[in-house]
Amino acid sequence: MQQYIIRRILLNVLVLFLVATMIFGALRIDSDNIVSKLRGQCAAGGNDEKQLQECDRITRLSLGLDGSVLSQYGDFMWDLVRFDLGHSAIGNKDPILDEIKERALVSVELGMLQIFVALLVALPVGIVSAIRQDTWIDYFLRAFSILLLGIPVFVLAVIVILLTGRYGDGTFLQDWLAPQGTYADFVDPFGWTRNESDPWQNIKNMFAPAVIGGLGTGAVIMRFLRSQMLEVLRQDYVRTAWAKGLRERVIIVRHALKNALIPVLTLVGILLGSIVSGNVVLENIFRLPGVGDYVVFKIAQTPDYPAVQGVVIVVALTLVFVNLMIDIAYGWLDPRIRYS
Amino acid sequence: MLEEQAAPAPLAAPAEAAMPKKATPLRTVLKFARRKPLGAIGFGLVFLLAAMTVGTPKAEFGSPSLPDRPFGFELGSSWLARYGEEDKFYDVSGRLNRLASPSGDHWFGTDNNGRDTYARIIVGARRSLFVGVWALVVATLVGTTIGVISGYFGKWVDTIVQRFMDALQSFPPLVALILIISINPLSSGDKSSLLVTAVILGLVGIPSVQRITRGVVLATREQQYVEAGRVIGATDLRIMLFYIVPNIMASIIVIFSTGIGVVILAEAALSFIVPEKVPGGTSWGNMLADANSRLGEKPYPGLFSAGAIALAVLAFNLAGDALRDVLDPRLRLQ
Repeated sequence: MQQYIIRRILLNVLVLFLVATMIFGALRIDSDNIVSKLRGQCAAGGNDEKQLQECDRITRLSLGLDGSVLSQYGDFMWDLVRFDLGHSAIGNKDPILDEIKERALVSVELGMLQIFVALLVALPVGIVSAIRQDTWIDYFLRAFSILLLGIPVFVLAVIVILLTGRYGDGTFLQDWLAPQGTYADFVDPFGWTRNESDPWQNIKNMFAPAVIGGLGTGAVIMRFLRSQMLEVLRQDYVRTAWAKGLRERVIIVRHALKNALIPVLTLVGILLGSIVSGNVVLENIFRLPGVGDYVVFKIAQTPDYPAVQGVVIVVALTLVFVNLMIDIAYGWLDPRIRYS
Repeated sequence: MLEEQAAPAPLAAPAEAAMPKKATPLRTVLKFARRKPLGAIGFGLVFLLAAMTVGTPKAEFGSPSLPDRPFGFELGSSWLARYGEEDKFYDVSGRLNRLASPSGDHWFGTDNNGRDTYARIIVGARRSLFVGVWALVVATLVGTTIGVISGYFGKWVDTIVQRFMDALQSFPPLVALILIISINPLSSGDKSSLLVTAVILGLVGIPSVQRITRGVVLATREQQYVEAGRVIGATDLRIMLFYIVPNIMASIIVIFSTGIGVVILAEAALSFIVPEKVPGGTSWGNMLADANSRLGEKPYPGLFSAGAIALAVLAFNLAGDALRDVLDPRLRLQ
């Protein structure tokens, strides 16, 4: 087990290194273009050649685009190791890490709630669909999941908001499905980033995006769990359990489900990337002050490259780390993996 | 051998009545529709989508640009469109006919600027479909090449390539797209750069394409006919091109059709969320974003563009699923 963990960690360190290098390269593909786009940030009166050059020089300095590529790379990596993401290129030039920290909780909460909803839907539906294979209820549930897979999360979100805005205005539906607050109204459940603390309002704000995103993810998990269950139910040890005269519930929950769930864990890890992607849009639509909303805001007008780069780094690091945890858990749950 | 052939001969005549009818294209299609009803619906919708893009082609060739010159010649305005997508409509008293409900004149109603929603959906179809096709051309070409090389050579080549792909996959797709598109110097808003957007969408899809191809190659590589090829002295390149690639064609076709749905979705999401960064022109994502900013007014433009995106994605999913079941059941487990 120890050897397995060490091997996984080493592989992931390599992946992290490659991720960082790619991000480093991305900003340097066309750095002149980037610098010229940021010109508006410092040209305070007067546009003569000398001032512009001075402006570009300062921008390059602040983006870490000065000096040789090798020294840039060294600085970049050293900053990363110390977890210094630099300052925003526009506006108040706030430290990026602080900005992300302030918004991370919202995104993490939304992501967790979505996975919770997804499992809440997928577990019973996947199990029932598998043990009642090829009955009308199986067909109905599968058609339902195909439909959910086909309707993109953000499309569903906009439809819900449009219909609520048109027909449910002023009713309780509006509170739950289309809360149109501003960022300042957003209530943090623990009061860590805002002063207020009202868990009920927070749940109202999170309800629609969590359910909509969770249903989309749940549809994928459900299909996968169904095929896993079908495979496990055909195994010899399940037949033995039947032959012993165990009750159906015991066989399905203790014998079959336990083994069918292990690969689902990996699937959740793979799905994390698309959950994060989906949340970028959902946060934007439902006006939740999360990391996704931040990155869209930073890219929309004058692109704030250091901020976008910082978000990409943090998100990629988080995904790699979570997947490492899942790998380790997988090896712990399924000893065959450790020794392969 | 001879006896085997001779024996059934007397039986052949009476059995003729029960013989399956000759497979005409129509019968094949009907048989497919009976066995895979969902897949048939998917294909029907895909053909509908393709029909929306058809216009009178013009015979001038040049470099391709989207959405009107997807393959180097101009397609002309769509046969199915009744009006131009930018035509504005006025009511009898001369006021802009904005946000009209669906009617005989405007099947899907009009949008906030008095433009016909149906015409805009048709134009958006061209953009979605061709961005999807071009992105998948890039993704499957590059992804298959990487997957075949990585799977075929194995060992250290495979290790290095796969770690690179792991790194690429640890970027959430949409965040990666936003980053690349904002850096891309060519995306300044003219029509030709929609092609660049399509290529970028394709590049982001490479890791998942190569993962599937690599898996199939790993299984194919150990087959006896590949070994036979090696024994008679075929070069690696020859084995890859003429022994392995034909055998993974089924998987590639399935990836292609499923992937178009994914790209249509990604393009719609991009033009919905950062319309400033995606090349201009009518797109379903833009229409949806426009509707989303007019809460409480009539929801028709939003509902129809949302429906178009959802149906297109659903169509390619269903068609891809059916193709996979027919062409390559191996992929079902992945």
